[in-house]
Amino acid sequence: MSTRWYPIYQRGGPQLRVFLPNFWLKLVRPTHEQPPNIVQFSCSMQMTKYDIRNYLEKIYNIKVVDVRTRIALGPTRRVPAKGYVVKDEDIKYAYVTLPKDEKFVFPDLFPVDNKAKEEEEATIKQSKEGFKQFLEKNKERPNMPGWFSI
Amino acid sequence: MSALRLNKNLLKRCKKFKCFSTAVLQEDEYTATPQYPPILDMSPEKVRERRKEEEYEGIKAVKTVEEKQIKLNMPKYYGFKSYMLYEDYIPYNSLPLIQHVTRTHLIKNENLPNFYNDLDVTSALNDVKSDIEEAILIELARHRQTLDLQGDKVEADNRLGFALSKQINRIITTRMSRHLPHLKGAQVDLNSRIKSFWLAGGMSPPENIKRYRRGCSWQKDKENEPTNRVMNYIGSANVSLRTDLPLKHIISSSDAESPDLSVPFFEFDPRTVGTVANQHRHIANVPGFWPGDSREFGFLSYHKRGHLISRHYGDANELKEAVDRQGILASFGWLNAQANFQGFTTFNDVTYPFVTQTVVTNGQVWSFYVYQLNTIVNHSKFFTENAKRNVCWGTPEVKLFEGVENDKLVGFNDEVLKMLLKFYANVPEVKLGVNLKPFLGKEEKFIADYEDGDKREWLEREYKFLVSNRPRAKLEYEIYAWEKIYKIDHQTRFMDQKKRPFEFKIKPSNRRLDERLPRYIPRALRPELPRHKGRYAKEYFP
Repeated sequence: MSTRWYPIYQRGGPQLRVFLPNFWLKLVRPTHEQPPNIVQFSCSMQMTKYDIRNYLEKIYNIKVVDVRTRIALGPTRRVPAKGYVVKDEDIKYAYVTLPKDEKFVFPDLFPVDNKAKEEEEATIKQSKEGFKQFLEKNKERPNMPGWFSI
Repeated sequence: MSALRLNKNLLKRCKKFKCFSTAVLQEDEYTATPQYPPILDMSPEKVRERRKEEEYEGIKAVKTVEEKQIKLNMPKYYGFKSYMLYEDYIPYNSLPLIQHVTRTHLIKNENLPNFYNDLDVTSALNDVKSDIEEAILIELARHRQTLDLQGDKVEADNRLGFALSKQINRIITTRMSRHLPHLKGAQVDLNSRIKSFWLAGGMSPPENIKRYRRGCSWQKDKENEPTNRVMNYIGSANVSLRTDLPLKHIISSSDAESPDLSVPFFEFDPRTVGTVANQHRHIANVPGFWPGDSREFGFLSYHKRGHLISRHYGDANELKEAVDRQGILASFGWLNAQANFQGFTTFNDVTYPFVTQTVVTNGQVWSFYVYQLNTIVNHSKFFTENAKRNVCWGTPEVKLFEGVENDKLVGFNDEVLKMLLKFYANVPEVKLGVNLKPFLGKEEKFIADYEDGDKREWLEREYKFLVSNRPRAKLEYEIYAWEKIYKIDHQTRFMDQKKRPFEFKIKPSNRRLDERLPRYIPRALRPELPRHKGRYAKEYFP
């Protein structure tokens, strides 16, 4: 349930106001391998299964077949130099089932740009080959300086 | 305390010393041709495989049905972590998973397999039709009077289905048993309890196993290798009929190996489609009767379908698949439990096919299934090596009648009743030249065949306890949250005395079934023996 409430109607009060609950859903890469029609979200702790279904159906117009949720225990860690143990927030995950013939592929948000790296490698390869050719040319003339040539 | 009591391995080590050895009095050490032991592949995988084979052979060698079931349970005192499959809870889109774990090829058709075309039931139809119509009208009237007011639609549908299948079965068996003597000898069970267990392989490992494998240098390359899962089916048949002879097979065993019988491959963890693994359960195979019953082959079973009302996924096509899932699972679960009573287990495959007929109905809507069980071994390497497939023939849902008007049934469909009558007209046969119980003892097939009364009693108690799956009286072992945080994840209490199992790298879940004290015999009941003897009753673990 949202912690913001829809204001109770008073006589004369405005109707059909836009009401924004403090809900959020974050699409995450699935922790465990999932069938293609199941999408994993992390969501605000207050959201119920019905809230998640409404959120997706009403705002994004997505047909939702089923919603399952779980609350993952937040990790514990030691504070450096202090030594005591603290615990991070728990996270609520929602597994949303779409109709079985639908497919969702998690988008590749940050594609790695290999162009610069490839160029660099090509130059290094070229110079290596040049040096090999130089050695091949000079193998009959040991101890001769490189500039001494026709 | 003596050194031997502290360390049981000491005795084994002592045997290695020369001073404890004696001279071998063996003269004929030499043979005419040299005898060599077989050359074995000593790679860890092969060694493990051989050890598994040995275990399977051990289970096969056990003489009686009940002892075999106890033997299956031996590795786990607290039971196996089981993936629970319920008949009346069908998550969304679970048909591919069920076909995968039961290795079932589904043939969906308007008609039953060709074998049923030759059965003539027109005379029987005329015989029973009016009675069945009357019974339906009476039951519907009673249903309207008593159940409509209660509001629980699922329960109402189930009750009507139960009442109608009971009545229809009663009418058909009494009328048809004149011509078909196998119905006279058939045993009818109401609300029989069906539980089934098997191992299923081929699915990718869960995250915790992957993490474990990543941590072991010798298992890193096997990180994504499939793991086995314990499947546990719990169901119940409204009415089930069983006979002393098995039904005829529909396809031959060579046809069952045909690659045309495709089975969908489900690669994910069953938990991703809503099948939970939240229980530790003992292995229990219960087909609705106890071992030793003479009518031990399933003939026909009626199943409820009220639970389909409570599904809210809003997908009509998927709802049809859900009925197929129920039909497949009800048939496989029942036949697997029956196969276990013939001495086959999930480690020792069936040597002949088992066949059953299943009806899912609420009295008005009917789905018919015929199931042939060709294999029950579907795990580890057998998942890829085993070529046999189980086959399920199913019909789409059909209505027996459209409704009631003026106290008369409207649109009564004779074809549906004919299909049901054909199930009854399928006569079980003697399987010539087939040993039905090849893996059971010659004289002793059930524990009731044992002469020793004490042994019989002990095995009976142990077997019934295991299949009851009652929880242990003592609370289960658990690592408390504070221990996980302050002792395992962060070593903040290293000065504490080490007392708990995880501090000694002991896993209580690996406790074997026989790791417990036998039953104590009070001194007054002991025979005349020295004080320290005869305190504990004898145990008969297989």
